[in-house]
Parts: sequence; structure tokens; C-alpha cells
Amino acid sequence: MKHSQLKEIIKKKASKIEFAIITNLENGLSEIYEPGKSLSKEFEIHKEQIDNFFKLKKNGVIENTEIFIETYIRPIKVIIVGAVHIAQYLVDFAKSLNFEISIIDPRGYFASEQRFPDMKIINKWPDEAFKEIKTNENSALIALTHDPKIDDPALQHALNKKFYYIGALGSKKTHENRCQRLKDAGFNSDQINSIHGPIGIKLGGRSAPEIALSIIAQLVSETYKK
Amino acid sequence: MKNSFDEKILEEANDWLNVNQKVVLATVIQTWGSSPRQVGSRMIVNETGDFSGSVSGGCVESAVVRECIGLIKDNKPCKKIEFKVSNESAWEVGLACGGEIAVYLEQIN
Repeated sequence: MKHSQLKEIIKKKASKIEFAIITNLENGLSEIYEPGKSLSKEFEIHKEQIDNFFKLKKNGVIENTEIFIETYIRPIKVIIVGAVHIAQYLVDFAKSLNFEISIIDPRGYFASEQRFPDMKIINKWPDEAFKEIKTNENSALIALTHDPKIDDPALQHALNKKFYYIGALGSKKTHENRCQRLKDAGFNSDQINSIHGPIGIKLGGRSAPEIALSIIAQLVSETYKK
Repeated sequence: MKNSFDEKILEEANDWLNVNQKVVLATVIQTWGSSPRQVGSRMIVNETGDFSGSVSGGCVESAVVRECIGLIKDNKPCKKIEFKVSNESAWEVGLACGGEIAVYLEQIN
């Protein structure tokens, strides 16, 4: 592989484009493939199988050939509501994972750049903030403020958009009250039960990094259930 | 959709190349049976044998490093190597877990 091609791959990864790297294991030739774009003669004859691997987000060698495909998928969008202490550790843990994090917090003193360097922080109320983030069933929500004014509109947005993971911080009692409010707002029990509350797997820890770890563990686990 | 990890090995390879190191990229391309790392797992090696990332659980990395240094010395563009179950009575490198893996080595230049 040429260094210029490696740079191109890194650039594509950073711009969150879905693509694949196709390599001929015999002669070392490799190429970047994006769906819809043409392939060089070298690989054109395998286009059908390449598209198939791409569709299944699979890595591997095409049967009876020496062609290896590695697919790159877009990172999963994770929206954290509440630029609180736990969020700082979540950002740390997510660094080595393929998650693209956005933080929403209308409270300016929480969402400071000093607390979250190099982080996309939207200093608005959730209803306004979600106008800036494109979300769908591949998105995840972590609600951390346990303030109904901030968390509830975000939870409602996530339920409406069918996020694959929705978690909300708070005690059992807080969560019961939250469920009641969502019920009053017209959400059905299936929707309400899909919310992970209290958030996180049972680790037993109580400190901010421990709670962040239990949340990220649950998020990864739910990602692989999809 | 899966793949929630991003080990950033390619980014690290770029950093090494930018300081004029020679870099070989090793990628797991096939696995059979129980193997510790999935297809697509990566490791990079430079001419002095420094390495980052992994292609197994530490079972075959030393052999991969040796092969990568060999590739740089012989100035070959690429090579495919396979590792099978280790024979415990011998000093050979292998996968104690009972799996088999194929690793593709390529020089970046």
C-alpha cells in the first residue's frame, strides 16, 4: 500500500464516509471502494461479491479468490444530554470506540470547553439542539441530567426517532416518575420499557468513572444486539 | 450494525511514516476455529521491531514481527502467512487456543 492511499483512508474515516478497502493478496494492489463508484479492471470482475460484503458490513476473503475486503462503517451517533461529571468519563471511554459523541446542555457553566476539550457541545435546549443533529434508529441517547425539563424532551425525541439505545440516569423512583410523565405524554408501554433506567449494567460502583463504565458497557452490549 | 471499535492503528502507521520509519501493516484476513482476534484486526511493525496493535492474543505476535522485519530487509511488497495450532512440546510459535489464522503483511511506502 502506498502512503498516499493510507492518508486517503484516514481522511475518509475522519469524514465518516462508508467505504471498503479491497486488496489483491497476490500482487499487493489495493484500492478504496465507495458504493456506486466504479472499480478498476483489477477488481471489477468481483464487483458483485464486493457489494455483497459491503452490504453485510463483513470483512474477509472472497471465496476461491485472493481478494480481501475490509469494510468501514460510519460511527454510531451517541448523544449525551447533560455535560456533567459522568459525561467527562464517557467521552474518555468512548475515545477508542467507534462512537461519535455530541453533548447537549443548555446550562452554559456545565458545557464549557475547558471541561470538554475538542468536543462538540451544543449549548441549547434539546428541542433546539436536535435540529442540528441528524438522528435515526442508529443513534443512541444517554440522558444524564435527571432534570425533567432537560431530559424529557430529549427522551421524547429519541423515542419518536426510534433510537436503538436510550438510557436515563436516576434512581428507581426517579425513573418511575419519568415513565409516568412519558405515559401522560402519550407514549405506550413498549416504548417506555425500551428505556434503560436506571441506566447502566450492574457493576456496583458509585463513582463517576464507574457509572460511566457501566453505561458504556451497556451501550456496547446493545450495539451488538442490533 | 456492528463494529463499535476503532483501534486507530492506521492513524498510528501514518504517524510512524511521517517520522520516516519503515512500516509493515499486518492484517488478519482469515480465521478458522477459535481464534482470538477477528478478521480485519491489525498490527504495525517498524524496521527495528517496535509494534502496535495485535493479530492474536499475544500468541503469534513475535513471529509476525520477525516476518515483518524480513519483508523490510528483502524489500518485498507483501506476503501471506498462516499460523496453526501450536505443538506444546516444540518451541514453535502457534495458537494455543486451537484456532488458525491467516495474516497478510504489506509494506507501506
